Amino acid sequence: MLHARCCLNQKGIILGLDLQNCSLKDPGPNFPQAHTAVIIDLQANPLKDELANAFHGFIQLQTLILPQDVNCPGGINAWNNVTFYINNQTCQGQRNLCNSTGDPEMCPENGSCAPDGPGLMQCICADGFHGYKCMRQGSFSLLVFFGILGSTTLSISILLWGTQRRKAKAS
Amino acid sequence: MAWPHIFQRGTLLSRFSHHHVVVFLLTFFSYSLLHASRKTFSNVKVSISKQWTPSAFNKSIELPVEIWSSNHLFPSAEEATLFLGTLDTIFLFSYAVGLFISGIVGDRLNLRWVLSFGMCSSALVVFVFGTLTEWLRFYNKGLYCCLWIVNGLLQSTGWPCVVAVMGNWFGKAGRGVVFGLWSACASVGNILGACLASSVLQYGYEYAFLVTAAVQFAGGIIIFFGLLVSPEEIGLPGIEAEENFEEDSHRPLINGADNEDESEPNYSIQEDDTASQVKAISFYQACCLPGVIPYSLAYACLKLVNYSFFFWLPFYLSNNFGWKEAEADKLSIWYDVGGIIGGTLQGFISDVLQKRAPVLALSLLLAVGSLVGYSRSPDDKSINALLMAVTGFFIGGPSNMISSAISADLGRQELIQGSSEALATVTGIVDGTGSIGAAVGQYLVSLIQDNLGWMWVFYFFILMTSCTILFISPLIVREIGSLLQRRQARILSE
Repeated sequence: MLHARCCLNQKGIILGLDLQNCSLKDPGPNFPQAHTAVIIDLQANPLKDELANAFHGFIQLQTLILPQDVNCPGGINAWNNVTFYINNQTCQGQRNLCNSTGDPEMCPENGSCAPDGPGLMQCICADGFHGYKCMRQGSFSLLVFFGILGSTTLSISILLWGTQRRKAKAS
Repeated sequence: MAWPHIFQRGTLLSRFSHHHVVVFLLTFFSYSLLHASRKTFSNVKVSISKQWTPSAFNKSIELPVEIWSSNHLFPSAEEATLFLGTLDTIFLFSYAVGLFISGIVGDRLNLRWVLSFGMCSSALVVFVFGTLTEWLRFYNKGLYCCLWIVNGLLQSTGWPCVVAVMGNWFGKAGRGVVFGLWSACASVGNILGACLASSVLQYGYEYAFLVTAAVQFAGGIIIFFGLLVSPEEIGLPGIEAEENFEEDSHRPLINGADNEDESEPNYSIQEDDTASQVKAISFYQACCLPGVIPYSLAYACLKLVNYSFFFWLPFYLSNNFGWKEAEADKLSIWYDVGGIIGGTLQGFISDVLQKRAPVLALSLLLAVGSLVGYSRSPDDKSINALLMAVTGFFIGGPSNMISSAISADLGRQELIQGSSEALATVTGIVDGTGSIGAAVGQYLVSLIQDNLGWMWVFYFFILMTSCTILFISPLIVREIGSLLQRRQARILSE
């Protein structure tokens, strides 16, 4: 549904954002709130050409319309299709740079590359790993462990008390 | 030679009831568990220092802060390592102080209560140290130091109590081999700790601490319900009564004339036995017993080397050769295997010779050679493991003997036999001095390694092993002298 300049889905998540002709010099501090957007329109704004870091987290973005003099964030390699029109520039089809860069040592141990927006990559934990620095793998079943330990302790204690200490003098 | 003595062992073995077996196993495993939880700390050092530091990865890619650099307890891995070394030192110092105290306490209070209290409370402290701080994400240097000091004091209740209980049940005959086999408990504990830690490490280091603490707590409960401190507790005769009886039956075989004079003092000592058995010896008197001071000082140097291997081996392996932490942990088991075989075999040989010091001296001389060999080990896992086992054999063997069989010898010598309880106190003194040496050594090892490299650490170990030989040299000279005299007397009488 449309709501002012936003296109929202049923759950209220932003899918489209229309910011054309808003006299914006930069996308603003609240811009990351729209990180779920699939299509964003920023044409006819006096934007400065440093948009690369403004799109952190915009992994769903497939269509980005920019003024003519501003480059697509991440450069031409980050997009499948860059088309120039009379009054705007359209970047289409965000590319996953993790596959193309091909450097196997990109991330620390147990980390894996994941897209973080147009032209951006981040290291998150590989499959199965979690926790700080992705050091942990799998999950420890406390119930099974304490169950086995408790029953073993109980049986050994009873056995030993019966065979050893029952006849002991009080001390 | 004591061969006739050993042939008599058939009768000895028949005197070992199921109580002896249970006492052997219970004391064996209780000390193993205490040692296992200490070993856990060494085995997870790499993981803990990763947990405390931010990531040092230097590439252009973005690293989300929560995953890679939100913990700043230490700015770098080097600082974390220094702190880990400090923790080791703190632990050993408080362990040493605790040993002196626990020995005295154990001789005066019920050994079973002291031991199970020590095990259970130490388990709780280890749980708070390793698991609770991680679950609550609360990392604090002061807290770690305090907890580890308390842990050192509580863990020190273990050794004097178990040696005293063993000393109550197993007498002089065959003590070397029984204690040699039994003192494998420390090494078995290391192996157990290494296995437990490496199998659970993938879930997070906090689970390694949880598992060892829980098992140790369970062990404390089992000890409380199952341990008999001495044969007198269920009405069986104590070992002094049995030894006096045995000596009487031997007498007629040796010198008929002396028999009459010797037998009367025997009977009077037995009467005094029942009257004054509970009197405990004072700390100063225990120190003045012959042999206690030289063995304590020698043990200080030897335990330094032994414990430095124990604490730093996995770290050295992954640092020097680049092997993974879990693999280095599994390999460090070979050192303990060597120690077990060494302790048992050397205990047996010293039983046959009936002299301990010459066996120690020879083993220590060969230990110097094996240290040189190990320091030049190539980057190959099998050769390294073999050299490690050999070094463990020559260093761990004497170490096990001094801390167990020799302590039992010193604490039950004829001077005080039957008239005072000194075993736990003497064990506390010998092991306490040893632990002070080990504590000083921890600090020195991390200092030397930081400034001069691992080769100089090995030179330091060689120096310490030589000092050990130096401290027991008067005893060596005396015992070799008496061995030669005995041989001469036998040759003359043939």
